[in-house]
This record gives sequence, structure tokens and C-alpha cells, in this order.
Amino acid sequence: MLNSLALRFAEWVDSLSISSGLHESFYLYNWIETTHVLTLMLSLGMLFVIDLRMLGWWLMDVPATRIAERLNRPMWIGFSIMIVTGILLYTAIPIRTTQSVWFRLKLILLIAAAINAIAFNKYLSATGKSWDLDKIPPKRARCAAGASLCLWAGVIVCGRFIAYDWFDCGKEMSAFMNWAAGCVASAAAH
Amino acid sequence: MIESFFTWLETSPIGAFVKDQGATFATIEAIHLMALAVLGGSVLVSDLRLCNVVLTDVPSKTVTDNAHKYFKISLIVLLVTGFFMVSGVAVKCYHNFYYWVKMAALAVGILFAFLVRAPLLRRDHAELNPFTLKLVALASMSIWFLVAASGRWIGFSG
Repeated sequence: MLNSLALRFAEWVDSLSISSGLHESFYLYNWIETTHVLTLMLSLGMLFVIDLRMLGWWLMDVPATRIAERLNRPMWIGFSIMIVTGILLYTAIPIRTTQSVWFRLKLILLIAAAINAIAFNKYLSATGKSWDLDKIPPKRARCAAGASLCLWAGVIVCGRFIAYDWFDCGKEMSAFMNWAAGCVASAAAH
Repeated sequence: MIESFFTWLETSPIGAFVKDQGATFATIEAIHLMALAVLGGSVLVSDLRLCNVVLTDVPSKTVTDNAHKYFKISLIVLLVTGFFMVSGVAVKCYHNFYYWVKMAALAVGILFAFLVRAPLLRRDHAELNPFTLKLVALASMSIWFLVAASGRWIGFSG
């Protein structure tokens, strides 16, 4: 049922003029995608600096909370741009994207990364001052940072793989993969 | 001579390995992107510090010295994965204008990073003209942005 709902939403987005406008414009789509990919240097670049400090691998002489606080704003500027461009990329090709196993996995990893970040920020606010100057932060901080790096690496991999058609609907696949990709009959076809 | 090298590269065992499975090229490309994020982070945190935009309460030499280590590591990963990627589509890259723009920008970036920026920043930053530091930082960010953007555009123009 969720797959049918997702497909109906995608078909509605596909019917919008902005969708066809984005999809058929050579330069606009390419510029949006280029911006999306290049902005990861800002958003994930800052995130990696923070995570590497929390692992005790970078800028160990600088208080950990200071790194997190100072790099938070440029990181969020980058993420904001990526969210906007990501929505536009989805709007351009909504049906194929919705039925992409890699896009679905990317969303799951994004949600997991967000939960990890929220939990870690709460821990940092509560206890950060006690280990701020430690070159090697406590195990919990290191685990959260390691999880963050793995989750975001997964986001990058899944994002790149969306372009490939290995598990596109219509290909010969197992029932599980068809379900995971959300390959249901189009409501518009009935 | 250059064209024959690219033709040879695509038919070499490395080119065959990359082309053998679609997932091989895609995986190498994903690693290339991850390294791009690390390089972007090290360049931006270092150059934005020199421009007094981020981490202004941390000595600039501390930031740039720390960032340089990860810059070198990520650059090596990018060069290795980039070489493998080119091997799979060498002839196409040879004929692609944006590939050569990227290679030129990459050469300038590497020479600038190791022959101009790094030696300059090894000195005490307090002795350096702040305008010079900002100019070096802006040049660095511009060059690496051009490398990344032209790299992405290769995919659109092939």
C-alpha cells in the first residue's frame, strides 16, 4: 500500500509543469545536479572535520565543542542547499526516483544519520564540557562519529548509484527487489 | 602519441577490469566522491579560516597544518580512483573538452598547493600580509571548485 501511495504521489509530481520543465531543460537540470554534488564538499566536508575531531584524528588541540559550534553554520548552509537541490532533482524525475531502490536506501540512511546527529548533539550538550579538551573523546562520542561517517558514506554511495538502472522496475528481479523498489502497477494505467 | 596512450589504456587490463562490471566503475566513482568530500572539507576549512570566516578563535596555522594532512590523503585517493575511472572510458575522455579543462585545473591546483600555498603557510602567519593570505585562500578555493565542476560536467558532455 505504501508503494502505491508513493507512486501516486510521484505521478502527481510528474504531472506538474515544473517537473517537465526541469526534466527537459538541459542546462537547468545539469546545473542543479552539479550544485547538489559540489555542495557536498561544503556540507559533508564540514561534517567530516567535526566527526574526525570527535574520533580524535584531527585538530586534537582544539576543544571539540568549539569545532562543532564553529563549523555548524557552514555545514547547515551546505545541507540547506543540498536539500533544495535534492527536492528539485526529485521533482524533475519523480517516478523513476521513487521506484529506485538506491533512492529509498539513501532516504533511510539520511534519516538514520539525522537521528544519530540529534542523539549525539544532546550528549555533547550534556557532557561536552567534561571531555572538551581531551585529545581522544570518550567512546560514545567516537562511536557516534564513526557511525556518522559510515552513514554519510552510504548516502554518497546510494546517491551515486541512483543513476544506474540495475534494479529498475521492468527488469527481471526477485519479488523482494520488486517490492523494495516499489514496482507496482501505475494507477494512471487503469 | 597521447591518443594512442588513451587507446592503449582503455584496452589494458586496468581498463578491462573497470569496464567488466558496471558496479566496478560505479563503486570507484563513489569512492572518488567520498574523497572529494574530504578534500573539499580540508580546503574549505583551511581557506575559510585564512579568510577569517570560520574557526576565527583558533590559530590559523593550527587549522592549515592539520588540514594539509587530510588534503594530501584525499588527493592521493582522488588521483588513484580518477586514474581507474579514466581507464574505463579513456578514448571518450580524450575527446572530451571538459576532461582536459579538469586536467589543466588539476595540474594548476597541485602545483599551487605544493609549490605556492604550502611553503607560504609553513611560515608564521602573523608575519604574512593578511591580504596575501586571503588572496591565496580565494585562489585555492577557486581552483578546486573548477576541478570539481569540470569533473562533473564531463558526465554531461560525453
